[in-house]
Amino acid sequence: MIIRNLAIRHGRRALASPVSRPWLRLFSTQPTDMATAFAPAPAPTPAPVTTSTSSTAVTQQSLDEAEALKEAKRIRELQFKNMPGEFRELRHLEKRTKSLGSEIVLDAYVPDESLKNPPDDASLEMLMASQAHMGHNTSSWNPANSRYIYGVRAGIHIISLESIASHLRRAARVVEEVAYRGGLILFVGTRRGHMPAVVRAAELAGACHLFEKWTPGTITNRDQILASAPLLMVNHQDEPLNGFVEHLQDRRPLVPDLVVCLNPLENYTLLYECGLASVPTIGIIDTDADPTCVTYQIPANDDSLRAVSLIAAVLGRAGQRGQKRRREAAVEGIVTWETPDEDQRFIDRKIYLDEKEKAEIEAARPQMQSGPAAEQATREDFNTEQKFAEAFKNGNTGGPQGRRGPPRASRRR
Amino acid sequence: MGRNFRAARVYETVRDFLETDVVKRAAGQRPRKPPAWFSAVQMIPPTELLTRPHSIQHSPPDANARRPHNIYRPTKIVYPEDQMRYQFYKDHPWELARPKLLLEHDGKDGRHRDWSKGLRQPGMALSGESVVQRQLWLLENTPGMSVAEAYDAARHEFYKLRQQEDITRRIAVEEARYVGAYFGKGPIQVSMINEDKAYDEWRVWAYGHIQKAAALQEQGSAQVIGTPDVLDVDVDDEGAAAAASEAPAIPQ
Repeated sequence: MIIRNLAIRHGRRALASPVSRPWLRLFSTQPTDMATAFAPAPAPTPAPVTTSTSSTAVTQQSLDEAEALKEAKRIRELQFKNMPGEFRELRHLEKRTKSLGSEIVLDAYVPDESLKNPPDDASLEMLMASQAHMGHNTSSWNPANSRYIYGVRAGIHIISLESIASHLRRAARVVEEVAYRGGLILFVGTRRGHMPAVVRAAELAGACHLFEKWTPGTITNRDQILASAPLLMVNHQDEPLNGFVEHLQDRRPLVPDLVVCLNPLENYTLLYECGLASVPTIGIIDTDADPTCVTYQIPANDDSLRAVSLIAAVLGRAGQRGQKRRREAAVEGIVTWETPDEDQRFIDRKIYLDEKEKAEIEAARPQMQSGPAAEQATREDFNTEQKFAEAFKNGNTGGPQGRRGPPRASRRR
Repeated sequence: MGRNFRAARVYETVRDFLETDVVKRAAGQRPRKPPAWFSAVQMIPPTELLTRPHSIQHSPPDANARRPHNIYRPTKIVYPEDQMRYQFYKDHPWELARPKLLLEHDGKDGRHRDWSKGLRQPGMALSGESVVQRQLWLLENTPGMSVAEAYDAARHEFYKLRQQEDITRRIAVEEARYVGAYFGKGPIQVSMINEDKAYDEWRVWAYGHIQKAAALQEQGSAQVIGTPDVLDVDVDDEGAAAAASEAPAIPQ
């Protein structure tokens, strides 16, 4: 090593490095308090740097910063140590490989981008990039889909991107409105690879999902198949309500208010049951599918997972918007849905019975004094239907729900 | 095949069902409540279904046809590039063997291309598609240029760039070798080594068989003629000679 270069090489580092504690004591004008000297470093405070007289302040600040950095590093290491094995390995790999790779490719393709950041609407470019426009071989087409087809290219039908976008927008509006009106939405995708899309869409829209086989009869024979499915009664702000345990055991299982099916070809039974139960359906219709099996068609390529994910994400986003609007309205006291007939009957009956009980107690009091009152109480049993009618009328005006708003049955979350 | 319009007519079905509630209405009771989706579907009705509009015509109808055919069938989508692409890949079939990126990121790739600036485009490898797009641009923007001239112009630009690529690659290898890089054996070298090995093994095996046959023949003819010179195998290189020494001894 050349000695004359030593100061140039190491001088800057020597000046920049924090002064060690024993040296620091030389600069200080006060006796060192041992308790404060070795106490944990306080949060770094901004110190004047420009003045030449504050060299001790600068060194103290750099000391604090160094301590804080050390502490942060210690916490990071502790966190890293406490991570589960595989996750720790993943993090380690990510850290090691973060700086690798080319910088030429700035926009890298992320396969589940549409699920990570669901778009509000799918543009024509997005649909085309996700291959939503590619239909099936021309020989396996369903002529009922001819109005969605743009032309023939390389032996397959090309679905018109404009019709995909317009139908998707319409379907998204339906999902939003049904979510706004407190309807129960079900997302179904039973092909391999549909699971992430279906689960994400349901998560966004506050809906149910199905990625396994549809059990035939889950709608038409729901009293048997869904007999043990747990239910929850909630008010307009989605808070659970008490006092319905007995009713929820007797109540019929729920039927979805909207079914979104990503592969209608494989879910014929589900869609047929929806038709029988008058449940509107939304489905992705490829060029070989029958468009009459669903209420709202989205003509698109149902074989591309990317296209299916994009469509599911857009619909999920729409559902999320609807739920948000519904909750906002609920805060202002606007209830966008009505209590179903079945639950309303139970509530009316409950109110009627409570009133009757009260009347009986009231009646029991004068009964001790005079005879005709007791006669009145016994005669009341024969006025049941009339009383029912009155109760119904009361129920219609929304009176009996009380302060907490009308209840409805919901699936248990 | 019959059509099932139940799904399409779900709103009408439920509307009619709700309207049949006459007994309850007459009794002054509350009528049935519509389902949660009812007003949503009323507001946003399903689209028209099963009407077959005249399909989009990408090419003019056949003027010589006596009567129109398949007027409701989707027609073939044809672009001016198709013929150019066909011509290029017919002339350069090995260009099809190069790897190609089929994935689009956001669908706006075309907006980043400017074919007035030549064949090199950002984010796109040089390929036959570059030639086709450049040719199309030349055709559209150069007055009086024929298709063949545009093809030749684009093609020669392409050759020049491919040569440049080859030279760059070769020089990079040379530079790397100069500073001590070792690239290992290529697939052809590896397969030649394997083939040589298999051939040598076969020679050992065949030599053993010949020796066996010769021994048998010797046993049979010894009584008649005497001892013949049976090791009549052409052993000219060292490998085979070594193999011959390792061969099993002739059974006596």
